[in-house]
Amino acid sequence: MIQNIWLVPLFPLIGFLIAGLGRKQLGNAAGWIASAAVLASFIVSVMIFFEVSAEGFKSIDVHLYDFIKVGKLDIAFEFRVDQLSSLFLLIITGIGFLIHIYSIGYMKGDVGFGKYFAFLNLFIFSMLLLVLGSNFIIMFIGWEGVGLCSYLLIGFWYHKKEYSVAARKAFVMNRIGDLGFLIGMFLIFAKVGTLDFQTLETLSFKGVIAEPGYLTAIAFCFFVGAMGKSAQIPLFTWLPDAMAGPTPVSALIHAATMVTAGIYMITRAHFIFSFSETAQTFILIIGLTTALVSATIAIRQNDIKKVLAYSTVSQLGFMFMALGVGAYTTAVFHVLTHAFFKALLFLGSGSVIHAMSNEQDIRLMGGLKSKMPITHSTFLIGCLAIAGIPPLSGFFSKDEIMMNLFIHGTYGKVFWVLGMIAALLTAYYMFRLYFITFLGEFRGGDKLKSHLHESPALMTMPLIVLAILAAAGGFLGIPEVFAHDAHWLHNFLTPVIEKSLALEPTIHHLSHSAEYIMMAVAVSVAIIGILLAWGSYKKFDAKKENKGIEKFFEDKWHWDEAYENAFQKPFMKMSAFAEKNIERKGIDGGVNGIGKLVEFASDKLRLLQNGSVGVYLFLMVLGMILLFIIQLLSNG
Amino acid sequence: MGGMLGIVAAAILGVVMMFVGLISQKSSVIRIAGVACFLILVGVTAFDFSAIHEQGTQLYFNNMLSVGIKASWFNVLISACAFIYILIFNNHITKVGKNDAEYFALMLFIMVGVFMLSTYNHLLILFIGIEILSIPQYILAGSDKENIKSNEASLKYFLMGAFSTGILLMGITLIYGSVGSFEIGNIATAFQGEVTALPMIGVILLIIAFGFKVSAAPMHWWTADVYDGTPTAITPFMATIVKVAAFIGFINLFHGAFGNIHYSWKLTIAILICVTLFIGNITAVFQQSVKRMLAYSSIAQAGFMLFAVFALNDTAEKSIIYYGVSYTLASIGVFAVLIKLKDYTYEGFNGLGKSHPLYAITATVCLLSLAGIPVTSGFFAKYFVLTAAMEQGLWLGIIVFAVLMAAISIYYYFRVIRAMYFTSSTEEITIESNPMEQILLVINAVLVVLLGLFPQFILG
Repeated sequence: MIQNIWLVPLFPLIGFLIAGLGRKQLGNAAGWIASAAVLASFIVSVMIFFEVSAEGFKSIDVHLYDFIKVGKLDIAFEFRVDQLSSLFLLIITGIGFLIHIYSIGYMKGDVGFGKYFAFLNLFIFSMLLLVLGSNFIIMFIGWEGVGLCSYLLIGFWYHKKEYSVAARKAFVMNRIGDLGFLIGMFLIFAKVGTLDFQTLETLSFKGVIAEPGYLTAIAFCFFVGAMGKSAQIPLFTWLPDAMAGPTPVSALIHAATMVTAGIYMITRAHFIFSFSETAQTFILIIGLTTALVSATIAIRQNDIKKVLAYSTVSQLGFMFMALGVGAYTTAVFHVLTHAFFKALLFLGSGSVIHAMSNEQDIRLMGGLKSKMPITHSTFLIGCLAIAGIPPLSGFFSKDEIMMNLFIHGTYGKVFWVLGMIAALLTAYYMFRLYFITFLGEFRGGDKLKSHLHESPALMTMPLIVLAILAAAGGFLGIPEVFAHDAHWLHNFLTPVIEKSLALEPTIHHLSHSAEYIMMAVAVSVAIIGILLAWGSYKKFDAKKENKGIEKFFEDKWHWDEAYENAFQKPFMKMSAFAEKNIERKGIDGGVNGIGKLVEFASDKLRLLQNGSVGVYLFLMVLGMILLFIIQLLSNG
Repeated sequence: MGGMLGIVAAAILGVVMMFVGLISQKSSVIRIAGVACFLILVGVTAFDFSAIHEQGTQLYFNNMLSVGIKASWFNVLISACAFIYILIFNNHITKVGKNDAEYFALMLFIMVGVFMLSTYNHLLILFIGIEILSIPQYILAGSDKENIKSNEASLKYFLMGAFSTGILLMGITLIYGSVGSFEIGNIATAFQGEVTALPMIGVILLIIAFGFKVSAAPMHWWTADVYDGTPTAITPFMATIVKVAAFIGFINLFHGAFGNIHYSWKLTIAILICVTLFIGNITAVFQQSVKRMLAYSSIAQAGFMLFAVFALNDTAEKSIIYYGVSYTLASIGVFAVLIKLKDYTYEGFNGLGKSHPLYAITATVCLLSLAGIPVTSGFFAKYFVLTAAMEQGLWLGIIVFAVLMAAISIYYYFRVIRAMYFTSSTEEITIESNPMEQILLVINAVLVVLLGLFPQFILG
């Protein structure tokens, strides 16, 4: 089956073409066709996954054709099948399929139904290219493809101005990151002349790219790419705005898959990052800052999706912390569990929004528990999972990150404390959201109240499946302290990053008792967070205004305004100036001037041709004499 | 056997053609005879080619003629181009004046000169070849006797041609004076390393004489007036086949005899390239008549072909043949549509795309090729000559300049296309459609594209 890996991206591509070309004729069938395409990919992915998880499997590069072969540049269209990519295949197609099904219910009756599914399939296709590519170029094609789909889907309801502005913002921010990615590729290519992962890994561990400064530069550039795609400070403001898109899109693209591309890329390129401690520390600090800052913003948001969006940014920060300490498998583990519970939470919020007739303000909600039992219970599971209550999945992955922070170097314990604060905030903002939305009295007025209903089975089924996954997903990575060698995910992924692991100085494990204590601390922090939320929000006063620091959080630290003043306004002024002086006067003037000059010259030269043979002969002899003079001068 | 049969056949067929004119006055008979003559010529040159292919280079008349594989392949191609020209234009040629058969005969005599220029190995044969090439042209230019412009063209061409013949003879004399031989091989052996002033002046005089024949600036003055005044049925023959033959003669002499003293003449050629490209392209921009624009464009195209003269390598010798064929076919295609129109200005082309889509599309393909748009052969023609010049180490600035000039040429070529497709005509264009001719034009346009897709056919 592995040789047929091309089937996996092929199905969504076909689905994209069918749904896209037949979007007018197919009607509701477009949704089913698109879902079936992703299901087919999922089935193939599962088959491949079983082959990959067999004992003694070695990564395989499946060569499809020579993509670019010019001179020294040799880029193959090649897919890399190994533990890492096959795991991501499962996440993308599996969760992708659930969200497709959910979307059929959610998008029912929308005018752009067919278009929506075409874009969704195109996204799946691009994302698959991103994770399957065996070199940076193919990965970059997918990387740009998901960026495009993200843009298209954020601005899906483009007739609303602020939505298309949000889409544009996402695109521009991503472009800044992509520039980093590109420069990183150029730097690598300039040094070693290849972009193939396998070759690069070999070369890198042989020490060919050994200059630390150069390596750090490469790592830094790629990390800028990751910052854009995975919404890290300072390129994170697009993600909350991206919530303009349909909610399933937020679940799929802006929570479960695309935004984790940065983590995937860094794991894939571990052979660069593992050699640059500077870059790793930088990643760690950025991740930690992002986790803290966005968690503080999340505690004062009133839009249900905004809370989840900032939560996503914060969780991505956790993943980057793990990458910053070289714990690649831990980061991927958190990607996995986060994909489960965050997709669940987003879809749950979608179900709520659906019931609330597209109202997203939690101040108008409340008491939905009785009206929407399935949504409520699955949402609660999601909240518990993200807060880190054992034995739900979030506990395991977050605990592992914290453990890795704790034992990391001199300042590890400081990072650990700060991480714990972020975890506390996580529990707090999630349960604030939960309490306000599902408990208490309904505050949205009678008209909305009469509409409240549980969502159709098409939407609740994916919720249930995801709830099960979010609850049980953590058992893929049972820590050493509970059972020896039971961390399945770590063992599974080890072959991919073996060489990087070998670089690490022998990790001094914590004693079991210390580990138990830390787990207890983590759980208590989560519970404290929940209790604090309970204390403040068991009775919610929707009219209360935020003041001081709370207001500052609600206003998102004024990041957007800062960017506007620091970049946008000066840039606009510069543009206006350039348009007026350089474009109009300079370039246009120049181009038109050349045209006028040619016409002028033509007009004058034409007059020499006056028809008289005598003049012609005279001019000809003049030309001859000039030729002789030039020849004479050139001979000295 | 075989090798110079082309020259013999062209001369005999020319005489035969004159007799045909005596026997029959009917233009249909004469046309059939003319087409047949050129078909036979293609056959004979092909036979020559196969013979040379087997036997290798042949020498005739005490080494005065040397028929090699390249020369005889060129003869086949140029005869085939002439044949295509005759096929498309025979109808129009007979409408020029009263002496129909003589026009065909004169063209056959010109072909004798063409073959001599591709095969000469002796400066006397070069001189005779050039004269055989030129004198029938003076007559052909004036073939529309009733038309004052045609007469003017003939006289102007003759006067200035005589002037250039003098220069040619002067150049040959100086070369002979310093070498003591007319033979190409001997001259090449004599000219090694540094040369004295006397032969150097001779070389430059020869450049000027050839520059006149290929209409390179500043010897180009006759071109526009002559091409414009000459009957439209004759102009394409002069502007393409004759010009390409002159280039072959040019290259044979400068690569064969003066190859070892490239240093002494490369500057002059480089200047000619720049001036020709500049004058040809810039002046073409302001023309209001498409026929006159094509005359200037033929000067501009000559500027590109001069790159092949500059470059002393195999690529250049192959690419000049490719350029010649590509340019000839494309020009024939444009002239064939032009001759159908009453009004030769750009306005005359207005709305042709709607009223006569087939003529418009074939003309468009040919214009694209002349402008050097990829996929058509014109693009590769320009590409090959520029490559050849690059290999020779021509200063990069001149290459860039040439490309810029090609960009300007797009302006005047596309003006015709714009007129055909984007401007509607106020009055109906009446063209008598001839199915046979339409098929030929389509074949011609297809050839223009096919040669672009498979340049190896000519280069290999």
